[in-house]
Amino acid sequence: MSFDVGFLLRTVDAIGEGLRMTVVVAVPALLLSAVWGVPLVMALMSKGKLPSLLARAYIEVVRNTPVLVQMFFIYFGSGMAGFPLPGYVAGLLALVLQNGGYIAEIYRGGIQSISQRQTEAGLALGFMPRATFGLIVLPQAVRKVIPPLSNQGVLIIKDTSLVATISVAEMTFQARLMADRTAAVFEIFFVLALFYLALTTVFSLLMRLVEVRLRVRQ
Amino acid sequence: MNSLLASWPLLIKGIGMTVFLAAVATVLATALGLVLAGIQLFAWRPLRWLVELYLYVIRGVPLLVMLFAMYYALPYAGIQIDPITGGIAVIGTYFGAFMTEVFRGAVLSVPKGQWEAGRAIGMRTPGILRDVVIAQALRVAGPPYINTLIMVVKATSLVSVIGLADITFVGRQIVERTLEPFIVFGFVALVYFVICYALSRLGRRIEARTSYVH
Repeated sequence: MSFDVGFLLRTVDAIGEGLRMTVVVAVPALLLSAVWGVPLVMALMSKGKLPSLLARAYIEVVRNTPVLVQMFFIYFGSGMAGFPLPGYVAGLLALVLQNGGYIAEIYRGGIQSISQRQTEAGLALGFMPRATFGLIVLPQAVRKVIPPLSNQGVLIIKDTSLVATISVAEMTFQARLMADRTAAVFEIFFVLALFYLALTTVFSLLMRLVEVRLRVRQ
Repeated sequence: MNSLLASWPLLIKGIGMTVFLAAVATVLATALGLVLAGIQLFAWRPLRWLVELYLYVIRGVPLLVMLFAMYYALPYAGIQIDPITGGIAVIGTYFGAFMTEVFRGAVLSVPKGQWEAGRAIGMRTPGILRDVVIAQALRVAGPPYINTLIMVVKATSLVSVIGLADITFVGRQIVERTLEPFIVFGFVALVYFVICYALSRLGRRIEARTSYVH
């Protein structure tokens, strides 16, 4: 159990190679999950019984099953169905399908946290219902959802490690490859953990910046 | 369908392993969470920093990476533990951090005035903590605690990657033989769904029972 500095540097190189792939998975996963949450929350909160029921059922299914099993389902399933998806696409799809569900719930929580009186006041002042929502409720809701979105984003970044199991060559995959070949496993997983810590810390700080920028100046 | 029927003993074993891992890891995570939340709220400052560091690391490092680190590194360190114990230890440690946040948040949600009121009527600190603060904090902790339980159940699926024969691992084995991924992984997903959905219904019942109108 010894730490070798030269080896540490080579490890940084190898895992750094995987870093690009991790970012290439994480960025679209974050953005597409946030986008996919929008139609979901619209269906969830719509007055129509069927759309809200379907959205509710969808969210219960994706939230109550592991994303790893969803990945296997899509990855191995698509191959068997005759249109094999690459690991990258299958992994990204599973991440977005699940996290879109979580994020729809975050959006719903944010919208519902704005007092009903705000809507009543808007309507009383003669705003149309659409304008009341867009100009009065939504801007306040956006501010409320930033912290939970930040938490969910960190979980998404961490979950990108799962695509290593369907052979996408991101950081965890590269680290494992090295660990299979060499004996210096401490250095490898130490460096890998640092890379993830750095990624999630940078992401949290960025979200914090957004939060501060959106804060109402008193 | 036949592939599922033919392998039912394996599937039952896999489900048993998943439930066992989730249950023991939950107990471990809960105990850890209680101790660490206690430290964070009341202990000597440097100790609190240590807990803070632990929470920061767990928040930023994927569970899969921790599992791999345990799986690859422990044998090199000369530590021989069986993978089941190792898996439980890692999952318990990981979710111990989540539980710490749940319990700390619950205690902090009790207004300061409750402490002052307790003191004003002559109660001592342990008494206030037990009869006033924790009594009210438990109410708040219920729903996030159940949410964390659901996360634990789902997270146990990761042990399949380091070779523990849980339901996900068994599913992969059956798929390799039968080439029926939709049916097999559909069934595996259903197993998790039944467990997690039952837990979330329980959570909603607890929430309805314990919340009161102010």
